[in-house]
Amino acid sequence: MLHEGGAMTIVKRGGHRPSEDFSKQKLHDSIVAACLSAGTPTGLAEQIGRTVTDAVISWLHTRPEVTSHDLRLTATKHLRTHHPDAAYLYEHHRKIL
Amino acid sequence: MDIITSLAIVTLAALVHASFQLSVSVLTLLSGHAIGSKKSHRRTVALTGSFVFGAGVMTLLLLSFFALMFSHVFGNNVTSLIWAICCGVLIGVGLAVWVFYYRRERGTTIWIPRSFARHLSNRSKATKDPAEAFSLGLTSVISELLFIIAPLAVSALVIVQLPTEWQLVGIAIYSVISLLALLIVWVAVGSGHSISRIQKWRETNKHFLQFAAGSALVILGAFVYVNQITLALEGIV
Repeated sequence: MLHEGGAMTIVKRGGHRPSEDFSKQKLHDSIVAACLSAGTPTGLAEQIGRTVTDAVISWLHTRPEVTSHDLRLTATKHLRTHHPDAAYLYEHHRKIL
Repeated sequence: MDIITSLAIVTLAALVHASFQLSVSVLTLLSGHAIGSKKSHRRTVALTGSFVFGAGVMTLLLLSFFALMFSHVFGNNVTSLIWAICCGVLIGVGLAVWVFYYRRERGTTIWIPRSFARHLSNRSKATKDPAEAFSLGLTSVISELLFIIAPLAVSALVIVQLPTEWQLVGIAIYSVISLLALLIVWVAVGSGHSISRIQKWRETNKHFLQFAAGSALVILGAFVYVNQITLALEGIV
């Protein structure tokens, strides 16, 4: 469980895959990966990853269930304030191919 | 057709091939995931280099296959009808590229079978081994066959008309030039350029690339038609 009253369940994109529990580590790693791909040094990427993950967790407090798409949009919004290039990659990685 | 004209046709066809973006998209994804998963720079360069090498090998194999097939079927006497069909394919694919090449959404998604796109996307995320990156390079060229078949076919048809020693030159020119876009992205990634900047540039200029590729195919079709059919019928060539 994430926290008291917070969202636990992430409904996956398209509904083809089963819902899954929210994973803080998974969100953090994906944000760090986007930052590294955008050329950010590892230390700064980790710091941005922690900041954005904390912001997303605060947002999750008010919602019992969210879709993976909403989660991505919210993470992108927070990431954009720290690193616009990484946010661009994070938002568009499914639209490259 | 003289050697210079033949090689010019092969060069233009190879430039059109180079402007197609599927392999570049896969290379961008592969590089992004390799860097994002904290692989060493050396490992990233090895993975992407293997991918580019795979794409080059498949291009070389496809062009050689088409050339061998055409030389067996038509020999040195390619009739006007065959040239006319080839021109039709070039112009048809050129118009199709204008209309269909990119999907009508943000990003750089291309009109290829979604099963191919899913496979390439999933494997480019998971690839850890240069041998698998090499096979992804092979697959990415096959996945784009629908679009590259026109420049490949006309190049093969032109190459089999050349003297034997120039045939190898023609194949080498096509293979190297068709890899230019991939080589540029590979060098950019290897020299530390940001994947997001590369992808942003691709997205910003995608309509120009689409228009340029389609136009070049139409122009190539018209040029071959005039050179091989109109002038031949008039007895000039």
